[in-house]
Amino acid sequence: MLASLQKRLHDTVRQGVFHPQFHFLAYALLGVLLLLPQLTGLVTVGLFTRIFVLAVFGMSYDLLRGYAGIINLGHALFFGGGTYIAGIVFANYGTSPSMLGLAVLGTTAYAMLAALLMGKIAFRGGNVVACAMITLALGEIVRQIAESWRAVTHGADGLTFPIPMMFRDRVALYYYALAFMVIMMLALRQFIMSPTGRVLLAIRENEQRAIFLGYNTASYKLVALQVAGVVCGWSGVMFALTSRFANTELLTVQQTLNALLVTIVGGTGTLYGAIVGTAFVQLAQHTLLGLRGVHPIFERWLLFFGAIYVFVVLFMPTGIVGLYQRFISHWLQPVKPR
Amino acid sequence: MDTFIILLVNGLADASLIFLMAAGLSIILGMMGVLNFAHGTMFLWGGYTSVWIMARTGNFWLGALGAVAVGALMGLVFERLFIRPAYGKVTAQILITLGLMIVFTDLARLLWGATPLPALRPAVFDGMVALGGVRIAEYRIFLIVIGVLVAIGIHALINRTRIGMVMRAGVQSPEMVRALGIDISKYFTLVFAGGAALAALGGALYVPLVGSVWSGMGMENQILAFIVVVVGGMGSFIGTAAGSLLIGLMGTLVAWFFPPAAVVANVLLMAVVLVWKPAGLFGLEGK
Amino acid sequence: MQPVLKLENLSSFIGPFHIVQGVSLDVFPGEAVVILGRNGSGKTTTLRTIMGLLRVASGVIELAGETILGLPAHQVARRGVGYVPEDCIVFNFLTVKENLQIAMRKADKETYARQSYALDLFPDLKKAYSRYAATLSGGQRQMLAIARVLQNDNKIILIDEPSKGLAPIIVERVGEALIAMKNSCTLILVEQNFPLACAVGDRYYILNSGRSVHSGSVAELAQDVQLQNRFLSIGS
Repeated sequence: MLASLQKRLHDTVRQGVFHPQFHFLAYALLGVLLLLPQLTGLVTVGLFTRIFVLAVFGMSYDLLRGYAGIINLGHALFFGGGTYIAGIVFANYGTSPSMLGLAVLGTTAYAMLAALLMGKIAFRGGNVVACAMITLALGEIVRQIAESWRAVTHGADGLTFPIPMMFRDRVALYYYALAFMVIMMLALRQFIMSPTGRVLLAIRENEQRAIFLGYNTASYKLVALQVAGVVCGWSGVMFALTSRFANTELLTVQQTLNALLVTIVGGTGTLYGAIVGTAFVQLAQHTLLGLRGVHPIFERWLLFFGAIYVFVVLFMPTGIVGLYQRFISHWLQPVKPR
Repeated sequence: MDTFIILLVNGLADASLIFLMAAGLSIILGMMGVLNFAHGTMFLWGGYTSVWIMARTGNFWLGALGAVAVGALMGLVFERLFIRPAYGKVTAQILITLGLMIVFTDLARLLWGATPLPALRPAVFDGMVALGGVRIAEYRIFLIVIGVLVAIGIHALINRTRIGMVMRAGVQSPEMVRALGIDISKYFTLVFAGGAALAALGGALYVPLVGSVWSGMGMENQILAFIVVVVGGMGSFIGTAAGSLLIGLMGTLVAWFFPPAAVVANVLLMAVVLVWKPAGLFGLEGK
Repeated sequence: MQPVLKLENLSSFIGPFHIVQGVSLDVFPGEAVVILGRNGSGKTTTLRTIMGLLRVASGVIELAGETILGLPAHQVARRGVGYVPEDCIVFNFLTVKENLQIAMRKADKETYARQSYALDLFPDLKKAYSRYAATLSGGQRQMLAIARVLQNDNKIILIDEPSKGLAPIIVERVGEALIAMKNSCTLILVEQNFPLACAVGDRYYILNSGRSVHSGSVAELAQDVQLQNRFLSIGS
C-alpha cells in the first residue's frame, strides 16, 4: 500500500510539472509572449504584465493548496504587505534601484515573520477547517490594522507612489514581469521536487500516515507557508511596480479568493495551472468589463466571479489543465500498431 | 461602578448578537462537518431584509420575522443545491460557500446599493432606562433578553427533542445514525436552515444597534463568529455560548480602556487559547 | 429455501483501494454465519458494504430476494438489517435510554416488549438507564450496541467483532447474549475470537484478500486443525 502511494505521489509530481506535452506547449507559448509587445498595443501589454504578476501570486497559493493541502484564507496579507512595503519605501525614501533592494528585503523579512506567526497559530487547530477559519481571521486583522493606520497606509483611499526609473517603461516592465514569472515557476518547481516537497505531497494525501511515518508535519507545513509567503510577498512588490498604487483592497479576503479562484480554474497542484487560470480570469474580467456598455450588469464582476467559482468547484474540479490532460489522454492517444 | 454597569450591559448585548450568529455556525460545523462561509451572508441579508420591510411597513417586528423567513429559505436552498453534492469533501464545501458569499454579498450591493442604509430601533425599545443610577439603552436590554431566550431555546431543543437527539448523535457519527435507519440528511437540511434563520435574526437585530446596514457587515461579524467557534471549541454548544460571552465582554472592555488594541485583542485571545488548548475551551480532543 | 441474505461476487472500494474483491455467501433463516479471516481480509468492509455505507460497490446484495445494493444506509436499516459496528459505537452524548430510543425503528408494543427483553438480558443497562453513554465501560457499551439492535424487528443482524478489546469475563457474557439472540434472529458474525465464533456460529465463510475462499460447517472447522492453520493462523 505504501509503495503504491509513493508511486502515486510521483505520478502527481510528474504530471504536474514534467508532462511532456507541456514542454512543447510552454516553449511555444513563451515564444509568443516574447514577441507580444511587438505585435500589440500598450493596453494588451499592461494586461499581460498584470497576468504575469498575478500568476505568481496564484502559484504561491497553489503551493499551499495544491501541494501541501493547506487552505490559507489570509494569503492576501503577504501580497498586500509586499505592495505596501514597496509603496511605503518608494514614497518615503526615493526610487533609486537600491530602494527596490530594500523593499524586497523588507518584504522577505515581513513575509517570513508573518508566515511563522500564522503557521504557529493556524496549524495548532489541527485540521483544514480550523486552519481556514484562523487564517481568515488573521488576514482580516492585518487588513484592519492597515485600515486604521492611516498615517502610513492612507486606508481605503490608497497610497500613490513613484517607482524606479528602470520600470517606468511599460514594455520593459512587461519583460521584467515575464522573467519574474518564469524564474518563480522554475524555483517553485525545484522546491516541489525537493525532498521537502515530496513530504508535503505525502501530507496532502494523508497527514495521519505521514505522522506515523515519523514526519513532523507541522514543521513541513510551516516551511511551505514560508516559501509561499515570501514568493507571494515578492509578487506583491512586482504588483507595486505595475500599479504604482496600494490600498487596503489588496489585503481583503477577496484578494485571497482571487488567487484561490485562479488555481481552481486552472487546475490545482500543477503550478502552471495557476498561470492558465490567471490568464483566463483576467481575460474574462477584461472582456466582461468591455461589455458594460451593452448592459450595466457586466460591471458586477464579483457576481460573475462568484458564479464561476461555484460552478468550477461543483462541475470542473480539475480545472482547465485537468480538462486538457483528459483531452490529451482521451483523444490524442497514439494508436497501437496491430 | 457606573462604567462597570454600562460596559457589562454593552458587552452582554454584543455577546447576544455574536451568539445568534455563532450558534448556527458551530452546530452546523459540529454535526455536518461543514464550515459555512456563507453564514455571514445570511446575517447580511437578514439585516437588509428587515430594513427593507420596515421602510415599507414601519413595523420592526414584521421586518425581523421577514429576515428569519429569508434566512431560513436561503439556508434551505443553499443546503439542497450546493452543500449536499459536496458532503464529506471539506475543501470543496469551503470553496463553494465562499463563492456563495461573494455572489450574495454582491447581489445585496446590487439590490440595495453600496452606501450604508439607515436602520431604526423599534419604537417600544427606543428609550433609555435607569439601572443602578446609570442610563442604559432599552434596546440593549432587549438584545440581552433575546440572547438568553435563544440560548435557553437551543439548549432545550438539543436536550429535549428528537431533533436534538439526532443532532447530538450526529456530532459523533453521522454514519452510525444512518445505519440505525435514520435519514440524517433531512435533519441536516433542517439544522442548516435553522442556523441560517438564527444568523438572519442576528443581522436584523444588529442593524438597529449600530444604526445602519452595509454590505461589508456580514464578513466583519462572521469573523467574530469564527473566532468564537475556534475559542469555544468546534461543535460545542456550551463552548459557543461561553466563547460569545468572552468575545463580547472582552471587545467592549478593550474598546473602552485601550481602543488601539481592539483589533488585535480577539486574535491574541484566539492565539492564547489555541496554544493552551488546541481544540478550544470546550472542544473534544481528537475530534 | 430462499436465503435471507445473498451476496454474489460483491466488490467494493475505500477511496482508491479495492478492498472487497469478490465475496459470495448465503445466509438462511435462523442461521448464524461467522465470517473469519486475517486482519485486513475485508470482513468489516463486507459488512459496511451490505449496510450501504460505502457508495462504490458492485455485485449482488439481496435481502429476502430483493436487491439492496446501492440503497442508502438508512433504507437498508429500515428494511430490517440490524448493525452492531466495530468498536461498539454508541452515542456518547446520549443517555442509555436515548441511545435505545434513537435506534427504535417503530414505537409499537412489540418493539417495547423486545426492548425490555434486551434490558433483562443486560441488567447493567437497566442500572445505567439514565446515564450518558460516555460514562459506560467497554463491556456496557457493547451490550448497549447489541440491545439497541435487538429491540427492532430484524430480518438479519450484522455483528462486527463484539469481543474486540473486552475482558475475557465480559466476552463470556457477550457470548451468552449472542447465543440467546441466535434463537430468535438470523446473524452474521465477524469474529477473530475463535472459541466465541465456534460457540455461536453454525456455518462459516473464510475471507482472504477480499475474497470468500472457503466455507463449511463450524463443527467441522473446529476439528480441522490444518484448515485453521491455512487460513486463520490460529495459535501462531
